Amino acid sequence: MTIADDPIVTQRPTEPPRSAKYVLLIVAAVVVSIPFGVLDLDSASRGAIYGAIAYVMLLMLGTTSQPTQRSGLIDLVSLVVAGAVGLKLYIAPIAARTTVITWRLSLRASLGWFLFGVVVGWVVYRNRKGTNPSAIVLIGLAFAGAAFLALQAGTDVGYLESISNRAIKRGEFQNIEQVFHVWVGLIVLGVGLAVTTSFVLGNAVVISVTAAVVFTMLAFNKIQFSVFEMFSRATQVTTLVDKLWPPDFTWSKSIGQPETFVLWQPYVETLRIAVVGATTGVFLAVPLAFSASRLTTPNATVYWIAKSTMNLIRTIPDLFWGILFAAAVGFGSPFPGALAMIMFSVAIMGKLLSETIDAIDPGPLEAAKSTGASHWQMVKSAAFPQVVPHYVAYGLYIFELNVRASVILGFIGAGGIGRLLDERRNFFQWDQVMAIVLVIFVTVILIEIVSIWVRRRIV
Amino acid sequence: MIEFKNASVVYPNGFKALEDVSLTINDGEFVVVVGLSGAGKSTLLRAINGFVPVVEGSCNVNGQEVVGAKPAELRALRSDVGMIFQTFNLVNRSTVMNNVLMGRLAAVSRWKSMFGLWPAEDKELALRALERVGIVEKAYVRATNLSGGQQQRVGIARALAQEPKVILADEPVASLDPVTSHIVMRDLKKINEDLGITTLINLHFLDLARQYGQRLIGLRAGKLVYDGNINDVNDEIFRQIYGRAITPDDMLQDA
Amino acid sequence: MTVPDLAPDAVGDTERPIEPDWPKRLRWILMLVIGLPFVWGILGLELSWGAIGRAPGQIWGLLGGLLPPDWSEIAESFNKLLESIYVAWIASIIGAFFSFPLGFMAATNMAPNWMTGPVRALLSGIRAFPELVLAIVLIPAFGLGPFTGVLAIGIHSIGTLGKLTSEVIEGVDPGPIEAIKATGGTRFQAMRFGVVPQAMPNILAYWLYRFEINIRASAVLGMIGAGGIGAEIVGRLRFRDDWPKAGAALILTIVVVLIIDAISAGIRRRIIAGHPGTGPVSRTLGTIVGDITPPVAEIQEA
Ligand SMILES: Nc1ncnc2c1ncn2[C@@H]1O[C@H](COP(=O)(O)OP(=O)(O)OP(=O)(O)O)[C@@H](O)[C@H]1O
Ligand SMILES: [Mg+2]
Repeated sequence: MTIADDPIVTQRPTEPPRSAKYVLLIVAAVVVSIPFGVLDLDSASRGAIYGAIAYVMLLMLGTTSQPTQRSGLIDLVSLVVAGAVGLKLYIAPIAARTTVITWRLSLRASLGWFLFGVVVGWVVYRNRKGTNPSAIVLIGLAFAGAAFLALQAGTDVGYLESISNRAIKRGEFQNIEQVFHVWVGLIVLGVGLAVTTSFVLGNAVVISVTAAVVFTMLAFNKIQFSVFEMFSRATQVTTLVDKLWPPDFTWSKSIGQPETFVLWQPYVETLRIAVVGATTGVFLAVPLAFSASRLTTPNATVYWIAKSTMNLIRTIPDLFWGILFAAAVGFGSPFPGALAMIMFSVAIMGKLLSETIDAIDPGPLEAAKSTGASHWQMVKSAAFPQVVPHYVAYGLYIFELNVRASVILGFIGAGGIGRLLDERRNFFQWDQVMAIVLVIFVTVILIEIVSIWVRRRIV
Repeated sequence: MIEFKNASVVYPNGFKALEDVSLTINDGEFVVVVGLSGAGKSTLLRAINGFVPVVEGSCNVNGQEVVGAKPAELRALRSDVGMIFQTFNLVNRSTVMNNVLMGRLAAVSRWKSMFGLWPAEDKELALRALERVGIVEKAYVRATNLSGGQQQRVGIARALAQEPKVILADEPVASLDPVTSHIVMRDLKKINEDLGITTLINLHFLDLARQYGQRLIGLRAGKLVYDGNINDVNDEIFRQIYGRAITPDDMLQDA
Repeated sequence: MTVPDLAPDAVGDTERPIEPDWPKRLRWILMLVIGLPFVWGILGLELSWGAIGRAPGQIWGLLGGLLPPDWSEIAESFNKLLESIYVAWIASIIGAFFSFPLGFMAATNMAPNWMTGPVRALLSGIRAFPELVLAIVLIPAFGLGPFTGVLAIGIHSIGTLGKLTSEVIEGVDPGPIEAIKATGGTRFQAMRFGVVPQAMPNILAYWLYRFEINIRASAVLGMIGAGGIGAEIVGRLRFRDDWPKAGAALILTIVVVLIIDAISAGIRRRIIAGHPGTGPVSRTLGTIVGDITPPVAEIQEA
């Protein structure tokens, strides 16, 4: 069956490039590079092969022509030469080093990759109409930057070397240097090709995805976290259950005293911190929020100050506030904890409320202004009533968050049940830790249930 | 061939939306279904591809019984029955091409389609379908950026890409302006004539029905009250279907 | 003031309604509901007017101690901060990876009730544990270190992301799903082609947002020794002499977090809008990485 047997009138559009395809292409190129990287070749021959791989990739992207054509041959030759020279430049100072790799050394070594990148950029610029000449330098910088970062990240803590060691122990490679450079090379190729492709395609997905993948690899290496390890350690959950279960709710405060429900008093303290922090914070946030919304701010300066204050408070995590206040007014009492919770609440309420105010109906504000009301009269009579239900709902939500957050304040000596949690942990009393955790869990769940119930009724 | 035999549809809440309908639609027919809002037009169409359950009687499409069909059988049946919706039901953020390719889902390898790797023949088919409805130049544009009429034509192309034997169109022009309505109706009519695809269309406007339809089916409160040639519809029959006389409101164009 | 007679003829025609008194009563009840716990809380906090009075001075003193910052050991702090960021990143990936299917399983328009119920309970159960408490519970098996940090933050992220994902999925337009079913597509294909393209931009934005939050969480976890910048700052705040170094580390953290937030927010806006934003960050990003418009459609489709 033919659906359209009329003569085709309209020209079919060409299919736009698909990022997914190019991401696959880059991954393929990197994978193809691995065996060439680890072969026992000298650096120049290895670089020449990298150059050839780059050429094939560009060819597949349609950014250069077949080697049978003059211009394609020029591209191939220049890429191969640049790869050979570049990799030589990169390996030479590192191979000749006598100390650990310093940042100066990394910088010198990455010069080789810069050269290679510049030639890649030049090929792209030569073959694609409308490419910005800055591509030449930018692609060079991307290659060099990736090399520098990879060298630095790898050597700072020695992770690439430790990986190399592991690989050698498994008998896969003979030479640390070799494995190490393969890692750097792969990272550089990945990032460099991604940047190149993004110039070729003029899009950001390739670079974002590749950057994310490279960053993930880096992160996994840096903190020595492997997925395999995650699953192999999963069996330790049985140990966990052994130690934590059954929970032990009573213990003696000090040696010789009877076992009691010791956690009650700090538990109540935690709740008190949460209540005081939430209530105070929620009230203090109101003027801030109204000043930090375009609709209700009295003027640009106030807006800017309120907004920056809010952002600044929000940047600092709750526990940091706790320790700052504890350092200021003294460790051990619940007072700094309450102050920290106030900051925490102001930050969240400020953000939520100001965003809600941004979205209110501006009509009533205008109406109020037209009656000659002052600014804050207008805010109170026309803006505030519009956000009251949200305000109450957010308040409850913040109380919920406060209970959770105040639990941990004790860890840094800012009051509450966290202190006990820390203490029991240091005594390796895991069953008692579990008891505290269970109490917290039940409290949080109960408060959440109540708060959801109330919120449903208001909004 | 589509065959209803004493079919009734009861919704889960107990509402009986279709009652004792018996009906035969032959291959290649162009049938218009009319009736008041709530008469059961949509229900009738959706019974054909098994979107609503027929609880009594039977409904048979090209030899496949809909009632009691297994999930795989139902999917096979649906792949032969294209559906066009009043609200287009396009994925707005996807390109036109990808929307049309969805018509191929039942035909292509599941794994390949998961990664968006469509065989060349399917792409060709999708482009042909777009050419058929005259918007191939929009193939790689996002569906949101199309006008309502264009979106509906994408919906038609999606149904065509299925290479269907039957097309069900549930008020395909209700969200469109008069001029566009005619374009879309003409497309549907031409597809029916050229490709011989059996077509069932729900319509609100009588003049559209008259202009494009051959056979008319009238529903009222879930019952079949008229089944015959559209040109035989007189005031009496109209009253049977709608319970009142014709008014200009029943026409797309007052002229 | 004399009240002008606006309706001379109407007086007495209709009886005026009595002003209801429940708003007033509600106000009193609210004041009690909020005020009593507040008073109860305050009374237990071992506060004295003296302590409150001294606090501003003490906080000022702290500021004076932190500033001017001492940048001599900033490189080490930077490495620690990077470690926190790495932990946050991997935790976010774990959260994204596991929350994605769970989000579908918790969405009422995707999964049957017998599945959504337990999955939702699981997700909110996870969310009830603060990251730090989770970390403490994991210590007996996994020890104290970045691994535990990643697990704790990752697990908590599964809870929050799972909930947000399911909400996004529940909000998608059901039309395309029906259309795919009408072509004979399977349930899975309906998700892949009908739901994912609609929901992915928002889900992706939530992943990024979670990363921003997780950076803070991992900094906090550092305080109990799970690696990263937290320990650095806590350790230095304990001794007055080290305060300027703590100040430097704190400023570094704030600046880096603000930068990451801004970049992430820019990317999020672009993902959701599907086109470059107009803010300064978006524009800068635009000049660096080019136009994101066509690829966004592809992220969802690829
Ligand atoms: N999911 C459902 N559950 C219960 N009752 C339903 C459901 N869908 C439709 N109905 C009822 O079935 C009857 C027929 O509905 P149907 O959608 O077939 O009408 P229609 O003729 O297409 O009307 P319209 O022209 O407004 O689209 C209506 O009374 C409607 O209320
Ligand atoms: Mg209908």
